[in-house]
Amino acid sequence: MTVNTKYFGTVEIDEEKVLTFESGLIGLDDYKKFAVIHDAQDEKVTISWLQSLEEPDFALPIIDPLFIKADYDPVVEDEWLTGLGEAKDEDYFVLVTLTVPEDIEKMTANLKAPLIINMSTRKGAQIIVENQDYLVRYPIYEVLKKMKEKEGE
Amino acid sequence: MLALTRKAGESIVIGNNVKVTILEIKGEQIKIGIEAPKNIPVYREEIFKQIEAENKEALKQNNAKEALSKLFS
Repeated sequence: MTVNTKYFGTVEIDEEKVLTFESGLIGLDDYKKFAVIHDAQDEKVTISWLQSLEEPDFALPIIDPLFIKADYDPVVEDEWLTGLGEAKDEDYFVLVTLTVPEDIEKMTANLKAPLIINMSTRKGAQIIVENQDYLVRYPIYEVLKKMKEKEGE
Repeated sequence: MLALTRKAGESIVIGNNVKVTILEIKGEQIKIGIEAPKNIPVYREEIFKQIEAENKEALKQNNAKEALSKLFS
C-alpha cells in the first residue's frame, strides 16, 4: 500500500507490516494503524518512526529501549496484553517514544509508557508500566552521544 | 457526572465486572479498592495525564527528524 508520511514523502508499505493499535496511543486515540519506518540511507538504524497510516502528519520518533538503557525490564502483567492476541515471550517487541525539543540536548525517552507489540499478530498497545523508577522523561542525549562516539572509534 | 454518596465499606458496581469499594476514610484521604478484570488498566489520573501530555509533546516536534539526523551525522 502507498502511504503519505511526515518525513519520507510517499512510501510503499508492505500490508503485512502494518501494526494495529486498537486503543491508539494514550491521549492520541484517533489513529489505530501504523508502520515503523526509517531512513533507508541509515546504515545503523537507531531511531525509527511510528508513522500513522491514517494521518500523514502523525509520526513519532521511537527507539529500542535497550539501546539507551541496557537493563530496561518493564513490569507488565500478562493480562494487560491479552488484547494483543496469543504470543510467546519472544513475539513481544518493545519500543519507547522520544521527545525531541528545540534544544536537542534536552531530548528524552518515555520509559514509563512503552509500546508493546505482538509481532505474531502485529497488534500493539501503549502500556503504563509499574516500575516506579522509570521516568516519563528519561534524558538520553548523553547516552546517544556516547554511542555515536564509540561508533566513530 | 453521576455523584453517589457512600460510606466506608460500601461499594459501587460499574457494568458487569467492575466494583469500586471505599475501604477507608481518614481525614483528607480515601482508600479505594478496585476489582476489575485484569485486562482493564487502572491508573492514577496524574500518571495517565502525564503520559497523555508527553505523547502530545513528542508528536508536536516538527523539527525532530532534522535535529536527530544532525546528532547522528
